[in-house]
Amino acid sequence: MPTSINTALIGKEYGPYPFTVERGKIKEFARAIGDLNPFYLDDRVGAASEWGDLIAPPTFAVTFRDETADTGAMLRDLGADISRILHGEQEFELFRPLQPGQTYLCRARIVDIYEKSGRSGPMAFVVRETTITDRTNDVVAAMRHITIVRL
Amino acid sequence: MKYAKVYFDDVNVGDELPPLVKGPIQQIQLTRYAGASGDFNPIHQDDEFARAAGMGGVFAHGMLSMGFVAQAVTDWAGAGAVRKLGVRFATLVRLKDVVTCRGRVVGKSSTDDVNLVELEVWAENQKTEKVVTGRATVILAARPSSPPPASPAPPASPARLRASTETPARPTGCSPR
Repeated sequence: MPTSINTALIGKEYGPYPFTVERGKIKEFARAIGDLNPFYLDDRVGAASEWGDLIAPPTFAVTFRDETADTGAMLRDLGADISRILHGEQEFELFRPLQPGQTYLCRARIVDIYEKSGRSGPMAFVVRETTITDRTNDVVAAMRHITIVRL
Repeated sequence: MKYAKVYFDDVNVGDELPPLVKGPIQQIQLTRYAGASGDFNPIHQDDEFARAAGMGGVFAHGMLSMGFVAQAVTDWAGAGAVRKLGVRFATLVRLKDVVTCRGRVVGKSSTDDVNLVELEVWAENQKTEKVVTGRATVILAARPSSPPPASPAPPASPARLRASTETPARPTGCSPR
């Protein structure tokens, strides 16, 4: 049964929601990738570094999830089933490394939805941008996700 | 400093990053990545579910492959060096696939004392199909012992002499690794 995507969602904002980075989560994430860089894993190396503590790997902000504002929430709004989605593209801009103990604020926004026909039939592309700020409202990172919904 | 392995001055357009080989991909890694990232889509865990969804079986999270590519970049440029990383997921990564991440320098620029290096990055499977393609921007430090520019040397002053004695002696043209 073909799904139809609610394009009225363009412009919809999610959040802001806070996310606090846990030290153990950085290590778990790096190990899951198999990236054993000591700046992600070794507290002493982190303490002696220019950042004064561990830093997170470049793609870590993908863990910044919130039930009210994550991909699941967006899929409910789109009327799309999780078995129909693929990850199309992903981009991170990092102005400062993310660090343990810090609380960040995430704001996401659907900036575009368009349909295209691919090898496996019609697909909708949902473009979402997330801005991550620190307690002083400085932007520390930004993400751009393209979720593909197989229609 | 961040154990920088490469200095801006030593990088040339066309240079290739050392390839990073990951895998063969096992289910346990996808399960670990689900837990670590919070992406519990059963399409990466449950083969029956993935087949019923028309995907022909379980496949890896795109973000895991992107994590591999990020590692290839930071292994070369240093942790914390990535300013921007953007990828497109081109082909699904399956169980038992071996993923090789590669990169190439496509540009260099310096503005306001920030040295940026542009990279083309990609990952390919054992059939040399590109599974991920993208671009990265990294910030690299200038080599601390860069020789002064080839201009007429100003007269030596006590300050200059003092500064030069504080510079660790290191043969130029040889990057410390």
